[in-house]
Amino acid sequence: MTKYKKTELVLDKVFDTQSCRHLISGQTAVLHCHHFTALYTQLALDCSMLDAKSLLAECSEDAWHEFLSGYFKEHSISRPADRISLAEQTFAAAGLGRLRVTCAGPESGEAVLDHSHVDSGWIKKWGQHEAPVNYIGAGFISGAFSAVFDRPVRTFTATETQSIVSGAPCSRFNVVVR
Amino acid sequence: MINRKQIIAAMSRIEVSANDDGLMPEFNVFVNMMPAKFWNSFAERLTRKVPPDMLEAAEYLLVNAAHECGYHTGYGIITSDEWKAVVEPMIEQVPEDILHGAFAVFTAWGWAKSEIVELVPNERMVVRAYDYYESDGVTYGASAKPSAYLIRGVSAAFMDLAYGGTYDPSGKSGVHTFQCAQTKGIECGDEYGEFVVTRSTH
Repeated sequence: MTKYKKTELVLDKVFDTQSCRHLISGQTAVLHCHHFTALYTQLALDCSMLDAKSLLAECSEDAWHEFLSGYFKEHSISRPADRISLAEQTFAAAGLGRLRVTCAGPESGEAVLDHSHVDSGWIKKWGQHEAPVNYIGAGFISGAFSAVFDRPVRTFTATETQSIVSGAPCSRFNVVVR
Repeated sequence: MINRKQIIAAMSRIEVSANDDGLMPEFNVFVNMMPAKFWNSFAERLTRKVPPDMLEAAEYLLVNAAHECGYHTGYGIITSDEWKAVVEPMIEQVPEDILHGAFAVFTAWGWAKSEIVELVPNERMVVRAYDYYESDGVTYGASAKPSAYLIRGVSAAFMDLAYGGTYDPSGKSGVHTFQCAQTKGIECGDEYGEFVVTRSTH
């Protein structure tokens, strides 16, 4: 594995006193709690007629792809290793947990969550669940891979193969081009 | 007396940061900070894609997510050290001043630039929001569908906390004693969003 100096994430956080909005790197950002996240996830599970689980993942993918692509461009970050490190730091800065991309290439990859907001929040609210529920995290990872390799959204799909919410010590995701 | 300007200035400076695990355990909940676009996208795509006969159910669930969030996180906020330091010294009339203070915090946290314009204790509250991220989905024209699900849910939840009895961490009682209807919306072409909270009829 190539060693490299970690590029630090620098977020430009501003409270706009006119609109009363919090802006992070120019985008409106909002605080929410695990109740909100868990109930949106439950809604996605319940709404099977629309495949709302994919819808939730796609919304996460779109939002984070835009954020990360914009960040890489603004800060002239081009090396995949730097981009991956910044994506991991962004995941943590958003309070979504500790993400480690353990391998990545233009065709596929793997990612691990040692800690997860969605899983811990779900467990705190309702206890364990038999199947993975982290569609928001899967969307983040898909969007991050596309941003890292300068590809459009929906290039990659991340599938959760093991989850904290089901009792595993960490969550695991397989990533592959569609 | 509640000094909104002072509360907004102080509470907007509070920075919630993640711990070494990438989590934000604050106010007795796990907090996250994501692009507003993510939440808007899901609500908008969901409500535009469901069949017309399912729209009410989908909107109810979106509002409910905010209602439960507002109830639990709202309680965490009004019992926090930050609240005790900034807002509590201004409170003279309970729970009405708490409600006014809560909407100042709601504003400071970037959920909606909002205030109470009418309050009938234990009965009815009207809130106006002059800027809110949930209106961002419409960038041209006016929508026939109001979309401020978060403000609806949280407004009702704040009334639950004020007049719905003792806080129940299990959420089995206390929450859902009030409901909220959106009567105006920036996304609908109005100058501001308006929200009317009344006793629950469910």
